[in-house]
Amino acid sequence: MVKLLPVALAAFFGLAALPAGAEEVPILRIYTYDSFAAEWGPGPGLKAGFEATCGCVVELTTADDAIAVLRKVQLEGATTKADLIVGLDTATSAEARATGLFAPHGLTLDKLTLPEAWTDPDFVPFDYGYFAYVYDKEKMPNPPKSFEELIALTDDIKIVIQDPRSSTPGLGNVFWVQAAYGERAPEIWAGLKPHILTMTKGWSEAYNLFLAGEADMVLSYTTSPTYHQVAEGVDKYAAAIFTEGHVAQTEVAGVLKSSEKQELAQKFLAYLTSVEGQKLIPTTNWMFPVVDIGADLPAAFGEAPTPKLLEIDAADIAANSRAWVDAALAAIQ
Amino acid sequence: MVIGAAVALLIVLVLWSITATAATDPGTSPSRIDLPWLVLTTTIQAGLTMVLSLLVGTALAWALNRLRFPGRELIVGLFASAIVTPGIIIAFGLLAVWGRAGWVAEFTGVRIPIFGLGGILFAHVILDASFAARILLARLESVPDFRLKTGQSLGLSAIQRFALIDWPAIRPTLPGLGAIIFLLAFTSFPVVLLLGGGPANQTLEVAIYSAVRLDFDLRGAVNLALVQIAICAGIILLASAAAPIPANLGRSAPQRWRDGAWVQALQEAVLVIGVLGFGLPLLAILIDGLGPGLGSLLAQPGFWRSLWTSLAIAAASAVLTLLIGLTLAAARAASPGRLVKTGIGAPAYAYLAVPTVVLSLGFFLLARNAGIDPELAAPFVVVLANTLLALPYAVSTLAPPLEAIATRRGKLIRALDLSGTQQFRSVEWPLIAGDAGVVTALAFCFSLGDLGVIALFGTQDFATLPLLMSRALGAYRSNDAAGIAAIMLLLTLAAFVLIPKLFQRLGHARA
Amino acid sequence: MLVLDQLAYRHPGQPTGYAFSLEAAPGEITAVSGASGSGKSTLLDLIAGFLAPSSGSLTLDGRDLLPLQPEERPVSILFQADALFEHLSAASNVALGLPRGTDKAEKDAAVTSALAEVGLPEVGRQRGDTLSGGQKQRVALARTLLRKRPVLLLDEPFSALDDATRAAVRDLVLTLTKREGWITLLVSHHVDDIDAVATRQYRIAEGRLLLS
Repeated sequence: MVKLLPVALAAFFGLAALPAGAEEVPILRIYTYDSFAAEWGPGPGLKAGFEATCGCVVELTTADDAIAVLRKVQLEGATTKADLIVGLDTATSAEARATGLFAPHGLTLDKLTLPEAWTDPDFVPFDYGYFAYVYDKEKMPNPPKSFEELIALTDDIKIVIQDPRSSTPGLGNVFWVQAAYGERAPEIWAGLKPHILTMTKGWSEAYNLFLAGEADMVLSYTTSPTYHQVAEGVDKYAAAIFTEGHVAQTEVAGVLKSSEKQELAQKFLAYLTSVEGQKLIPTTNWMFPVVDIGADLPAAFGEAPTPKLLEIDAADIAANSRAWVDAALAAIQ
Repeated sequence: MVIGAAVALLIVLVLWSITATAATDPGTSPSRIDLPWLVLTTTIQAGLTMVLSLLVGTALAWALNRLRFPGRELIVGLFASAIVTPGIIIAFGLLAVWGRAGWVAEFTGVRIPIFGLGGILFAHVILDASFAARILLARLESVPDFRLKTGQSLGLSAIQRFALIDWPAIRPTLPGLGAIIFLLAFTSFPVVLLLGGGPANQTLEVAIYSAVRLDFDLRGAVNLALVQIAICAGIILLASAAAPIPANLGRSAPQRWRDGAWVQALQEAVLVIGVLGFGLPLLAILIDGLGPGLGSLLAQPGFWRSLWTSLAIAAASAVLTLLIGLTLAAARAASPGRLVKTGIGAPAYAYLAVPTVVLSLGFFLLARNAGIDPELAAPFVVVLANTLLALPYAVSTLAPPLEAIATRRGKLIRALDLSGTQQFRSVEWPLIAGDAGVVTALAFCFSLGDLGVIALFGTQDFATLPLLMSRALGAYRSNDAAGIAAIMLLLTLAAFVLIPKLFQRLGHARA
Repeated sequence: MLVLDQLAYRHPGQPTGYAFSLEAAPGEITAVSGASGSGKSTLLDLIAGFLAPSSGSLTLDGRDLLPLQPEERPVSILFQADALFEHLSAASNVALGLPRGTDKAEKDAAVTSALAEVGLPEVGRQRGDTLSGGQKQRVALARTLLRKRPVLLLDEPFSALDDATRAAVRDLVLTLTKREGWITLLVSHHVDDIDAVATRQYRIAEGRLLLS
């Protein structure tokens, strides 16, 4: 009886895991992060939309976060089953490129509406958002308009941020301060120190601390208030726009060199950046689409303030990110 | 013995597979971290957590053992359920009560600074002390009848009663329990960051996580993991060396011996504080989760799939944990020297010291190197990992009573020439059924579980409740997450009330 | 004289109950025998106060014992094994028989003489768990001596001992009972123990005590 249990379990899950299609239909295997493939994420819609035209089966394989997806492919190397990866971002794409595992995307991306021109030959952008500190308009009528104003507030104004060693927004925050202040970055961090309520492992803990009322501001995205407006009809949250400018996080997808289905994978990338594919993004991933999708973009996205963009060089990130993180941590130690 | 060696071998394999992969890599520069400082602060935090948890746990077990009142079983179940609830949930429950916008601040206007070392300790003590109380209570309730009668007839004072009857019963359990709590606190990561108030409060586990994920410095990660395992091994060996005196065993009857009025008042106070301190955060979780948003959660087919998956994994791991735990504990009891005893028990604990992020990497590489498709292996790995996670609890709970049976009744058993199975059914099982029930409930709830170990396995359809919860949290769906947390808490409570009862009945039936 | 008159008790969930009547005199050992599960332990629990009877009376020289808590009853109880707290020294175990607050010199003297009386003058410092089975029972008897309670309840006290030790401990119990004027109640299923020391013998059958 006891020995049967695991077998029964395996049979159950084994069956559940079998792909729906038979042998003759090509399978496109996409590695992505968990919440992208979640039932309310963009994954299921994109899968259904692409399968309707491609004559193929899309299989989403997940790891717990974007960086883990990259590590998984690195560990599997040339033997990976993945045809493409969806969900890396501009902060990690340089490192991904350096692995030599990715093939050029081969698309002409002339319809992009990104805040900066797109020149990357390997990775295709599929959504973007600006890092920003989100606050409650009712509790904070006069939000700070720059890091320096934030620092100048009384110490009982608390922000919650994420650990740059375990969280993408946390790392983005370090890049942001770096891009805005350069050599003065450690000074800004030291100024922020008394305001930092805590530094969480991931975005979700930080954001929920903020929602629970423990902190006045949380590091998130300019589109976070949009979620509350669209999905909940709640209008009290807003993103503070800093005059220094904001760093953007652009999420990207790329095809693996080892894939035998280059053409199919490229077709998926084309679909991902098409108007049809992009329509799915805003209300599932809560980021801005990379092409103009017209009236399909909920009005609240249009109302979200567009900050000045702070550009940051990918090569610079690859070379210095660890030093920046160390300096930031040392300053708030 | 074989199982102990197998666990040790598994840990070695995990680390070796990572090192082997690292060797083929060009390698990156080692992370710059202040290792001695990290080790020191982590050790202080874990040590304080351990001492506080054991003290508070003992006081609670003492009060619960003496007092009888309606709803007592629910309180006992409540205490046990804290440790198996994800730490992050407990931390949020704690904030709902004590935080800036929490109940206390709202009703009294008093703001308690909860972030920092104090907050970490508070959350850890809620997690661990209530669990310690549950385990120690099981020991107190197995104090034999004649011992209590002798004490009562001698008119022992409350202090004498504790020193002469309770202390010998709980002492053998304390080292193992202490080691577990230390390991849990030492490797705690999300809670430490959530409540730590910035990088001043860190654990070694954070550094290991970032070495694996951010820096992809596998060799560095293995080295750090080895440091962590070495420190934890020191604690485990210390715990094993703290000679457990075998506890008394015998059929235990319901308590009829009440302490004096003043002492009873003290016990009631301890219990009220305990229930408020531990119960309120859990209550906050329930209130938050069982609100109007619950309907939409229950309408999601994904929720029900995850629920069944969780229950299936939990049942499989619970059975496996009980079997392996009994085998290990019995082997420990039957072996002669202390060194051999340590050799059998220690690997089970050592597993707790291996960082989850390292385990997930190691298991992934092991499956790949063995040519197994990780997606197909996932259910097995989860059951295995959850079993190994619950094993130290099983061994530390089952070993003292089995040891006591071995020393006390060894001669009698030999004289009667009972065969192994017969011995187990007629002699050991009736005496440990209660403990076995607690262990099974614990393993069951643990394994509703975390999927950290298969983070890289790529199993989109294989979702459990905790995974679903963290997904919901990561997608602004706080209501869903709160609902899942509340349901998990209710499941856990039910398991802790029902499973020990079932086992108690089985024990009596066989006697 | 210890007198039980139709002292009745029924365990919850069991169809039939007990009704015990018995007389036991000072300076004598009164034995109770019966198959296992016949109610021997229930009888002792009722006398010692661990169970409350549903009806009937329990008197010592005419004094009603039922309202008294276990620790207030004029009763000492000695079990088959583990009568001692094994991590305490023999002397500390014996001292538990003295009223709390007895001053140290008085305590030491009383313990020393009690240990001498049971024939173990030299074991005072040894821990309980280092003593042999016979020594443990003797030390427990020394504790009983100091308690000065007129009723001694013995629950299979010799069962764990080898033959030679058992005869010696048995004789010690008889000697002390006679000298101290104890009302000693011996519950046992060993016929030779009972025959050797008991003055009066009862047998439990179907919930009743029968004189034999």
